[in-house]
Amino acid sequence: MFKKILFATTGTPSCDSAARVAFDMAKRYNAELVTINVFGVPSRSFSQTVTDIRTGDEVDLHDDRLEEIKNELEKTYVQLIKDYTPCETVVTVGIPHTEILRLARKKEIDLIVIGARTSAEENENSVNRHIVGRTLQSVARSARCPVLVIGRTAASFWGGISNIVFGTDFSKASDEAFKFAFNLAQTFNSSLHLFHAIDISADPFEITKNQEVIEDRIRDAREKIRSKYLSKMEGFNDYEIDVWEGIPYVEIVKYARESFADLIVMSHHTKKMDPEKAVLGSTVEQVVLRSNAPVISVNHPARQKKQ
Amino acid sequence: MSQNILCTQNPVNDKEALDALLKDKRGQQYYDEMTRLEVDTAALSKSLNDTCHSRIRTWLELCAHCGMCADACAFYLSNEKDPKQVPSYKIQSTLGEIVRRKGNVDNALMRYAMDVAWGKCTCCNRCGLYCPFGIDMGVMMSYLRGLLFSQGFVPWEMKIGSGMHRIFRAQMDVTVEDWVETCEWMEEEWEDDWPGLKIPVDKENADIMYTVNAREPKHYPEDIAEAAVLFSIAGENWTVPGEGWEETSLAMFAGDWEGSQLQAQSVYDAMDRLKPKRMIVTECGHAYRATVIEGPYWTGQKSGKTPIETLHYVEWVAEALRTGKLKIDPAKKIKEPVTLHDSCNYVRNGGLSQCGREIMSYIAEDFREMTPNGDHNFCCGGGGGMNGIGKYREERNTGQKVKRDQILATGAKLVITPCHNCWDAIRDLEEVYKIGIRWSFLKPLLLDMVIVPEHLKPKEE
Repeated sequence: MFKKILFATTGTPSCDSAARVAFDMAKRYNAELVTINVFGVPSRSFSQTVTDIRTGDEVDLHDDRLEEIKNELEKTYVQLIKDYTPCETVVTVGIPHTEILRLARKKEIDLIVIGARTSAEENENSVNRHIVGRTLQSVARSARCPVLVIGRTAASFWGGISNIVFGTDFSKASDEAFKFAFNLAQTFNSSLHLFHAIDISADPFEITKNQEVIEDRIRDAREKIRSKYLSKMEGFNDYEIDVWEGIPYVEIVKYARESFADLIVMSHHTKKMDPEKAVLGSTVEQVVLRSNAPVISVNHPARQKKQ
Repeated sequence: MSQNILCTQNPVNDKEALDALLKDKRGQQYYDEMTRLEVDTAALSKSLNDTCHSRIRTWLELCAHCGMCADACAFYLSNEKDPKQVPSYKIQSTLGEIVRRKGNVDNALMRYAMDVAWGKCTCCNRCGLYCPFGIDMGVMMSYLRGLLFSQGFVPWEMKIGSGMHRIFRAQMDVTVEDWVETCEWMEEEWEDDWPGLKIPVDKENADIMYTVNAREPKHYPEDIAEAAVLFSIAGENWTVPGEGWEETSLAMFAGDWEGSQLQAQSVYDAMDRLKPKRMIVTECGHAYRATVIEGPYWTGQKSGKTPIETLHYVEWVAEALRTGKLKIDPAKKIKEPVTLHDSCNYVRNGGLSQCGREIMSYIAEDFREMTPNGDHNFCCGGGGGMNGIGKYREERNTGQKVKRDQILATGAKLVITPCHNCWDAIRDLEEVYKIGIRWSFLKPLLLDMVIVPEHLKPKEE
C-alpha cells in the first residue's frame, strides 16, 4: 500500500506517537522510511545562524551541529521504538513545511506521517507551537500524497482497521480523499462510514433556526453522498451514511467516537490562511486535536511523474 | 607573512575555502586571525594612487564639519547622539585617515575601519542628502569597504557572501539545477489552485525576464509562485532565466568589486541570451542597486545602463495597477491602518519613491505615511549587509530604534516592506522590541485582493 513513508518530526515527545506509527507502518508494509527534522528556521538575513525550533534560541549552523542532531534523533528513536529499523535521517534547516514538501517530492514519498501539537504541551515555546501548527497546515494542504496526522497520545496505532470514517465537504479535494478512503476500506476489509456535517455555526441569515430547513439539508446531503460516492462503490456493501448538523469538527469527532473509528479520512484543502489564524487551524486541525483516532488528510491526486 | 588560514587577503574562489570558512563557528578563528593580519601598505598605497581620485579627495577636504549630517543618521540618533556616530566623523576617522597616511596604516586602524564601515553604517546615504556640499558619504563608505576587502578586513559573513557569488553566482548555495527544480516544483504545487500556471524557464523574446533573490528558491519558494500567479493574472508574457537568475549582491556589501562584476554580468548575459524586452527585479532593494544602478559601471556598459530596460517590482506593480492589468477588488482593499517602509536602495538611491505611494492608493483604505518618508526615509536598520553580520548584531538592534519609533507613530500594525532585507530587519525589529506589528511583501497582499479572471479560477466540478 505504501512504499515510501516520510516521517516529519521535531524530535520532541509531541512526535513520539507519530514516530511509533511511522516505524510500525514502515515495518508492516515493508516500506522505506525516511525521517526528516527541520531543526532551525533561517533568521538574521543571510547570517550563518538559525533559530532553533525547539528552544527558540539562536544557534550556529555548521555540519557538526547537523551531525550531532542527527545522532541524537536516531538515539531517541532507537530507545523509543521496540523493533527499531535503521532508516535514512535527514536533518536540515529552512522553513519546515518547505523542506518537508521539497523532500517528499524529491523522494517520491507516498505517505507523510506527521505529529500534531496537543494541549498537553503547554511547556513548549511559542515559536514551536506556532511553527508546528503552520507546518501541519501547509504540508497537508500542498502534499501530493496522503498525510497521516497523529495528534492525541491515545491515538490508536496502525493495526487492523475496522472502521474508517470519511468526512466530506463535497469539495474536489474531498473526491480525492474519498478515493483514498474507499481504496483503504477495500484493502483492509473495513467498514466505511461516509459522513457530512451541516455547518450551523456560520449561518448569518439564521436559516437553520427552522428545523425543517435543517432536515431538508440533511436529506439533500444524504442524497449527495449517494450520488457522488455510492455510485463509485459498486459491490461494496459494508458502509454507512450519516449526516449530522452542528459545528463540523465537533460532529466529526463525536461521530468518529460513536462509530469506533480507527481512522478518519478528510481533505484539508483550505486555501492559504493567515499564519496567526492557522495556529487554530481548519476543521481538520481541530479534529486532529480532539479525536482519538488518527486523521489522514488527502487533497490531491497522486503526483504524476513528468515524462 | 602571517600564518593565517581563514582570514587572508585572498577572496574565496572555491568550495574548499568556502567550507573552511563555514566550519568556523561565528567566525571565531577568523576574527582571531584578523588581529594578526598584516596590512599590505604598498598595495594599499598603490590602490589609493590608482583609484582615489579628485572626487573623494575633494570631498574629504571639503567637509566643513558643520554636522548637518549628524541628525540625518539613524545610528547617531539611536545612540544618544554619540559624536562618534556623526557620519562625517565616521568617514574622516577611517577613509580620511587612510588617505592622509597614504595607506601607511596598521592592523588596528584597519579593524577599526571595518567596525565603522559595517557596524556603524548601512550605506543608506541619508546623510549625503543633507550635506550642504553634496558630499556623498555612501559612495565614500563603499569605497572604504572596497579597500578593506582588498586587504582582507571584512566581516566573516561578508567574506562568505562574496565567496558564494564567486562560486555559485548566487548569495547562497543554490545551483542552477536547484533553481530550475524549484520553479518546476512551484508550478506543480500551485497549479491546482491556479489552473495552467507556468513558470517558463529560458523562454526567448519574452516581454519580461524576471530575476529573484536566492533566498526565494532556498527558503521562500512561494514568493516565486506568487510572482508567477500575478504575472499570469496580468497576462504577461514572461520568463525566468535558467542561468543568471540571481539579482542580489552580497559581494557589493562586502566591497568585492570583482565578485560584484561577475554577478551582475551573469544577469546581463541572460539578457543577451534570451532577448527579453524588459527585466523585472523581485521585491529586493540592494538587488536593484547592484544590478540596475551600479552593475552597468562594474561591467563597463557604455550607456551606463543595463543592456535592456529594467524595472523594480514596485514599478511593475504600479504600472499594472495603473493600466488595469491588475485590478483590485474594492471590497478586499486593506482596511486596517497600514504603513509602507521605503527601501533606501531603490527609493532614495533609485528614485522610485512615487511607485510605493501609487500602489498604496490602489490597495489601502487607511495608508499612513511614516515621518519622514520617501527619499527622506530612515533605513530599516539592517541595510548594507548589517542584518546578517553577527559581530554587529547589537549595533543593528540599537540602530533600529529610529525605525521602531517611526512605525509606532503611524499607529499601523501592518508594515509593507517590498525588500527582502527590510522585510528581515522589520521582522527582527519585532522580535527585539515586540511592538506588535506584522510585515509583508506586496505579493501575498496583492494576491488576496486582486480580481482573478475566470480562466485562472480552479474548477470545482
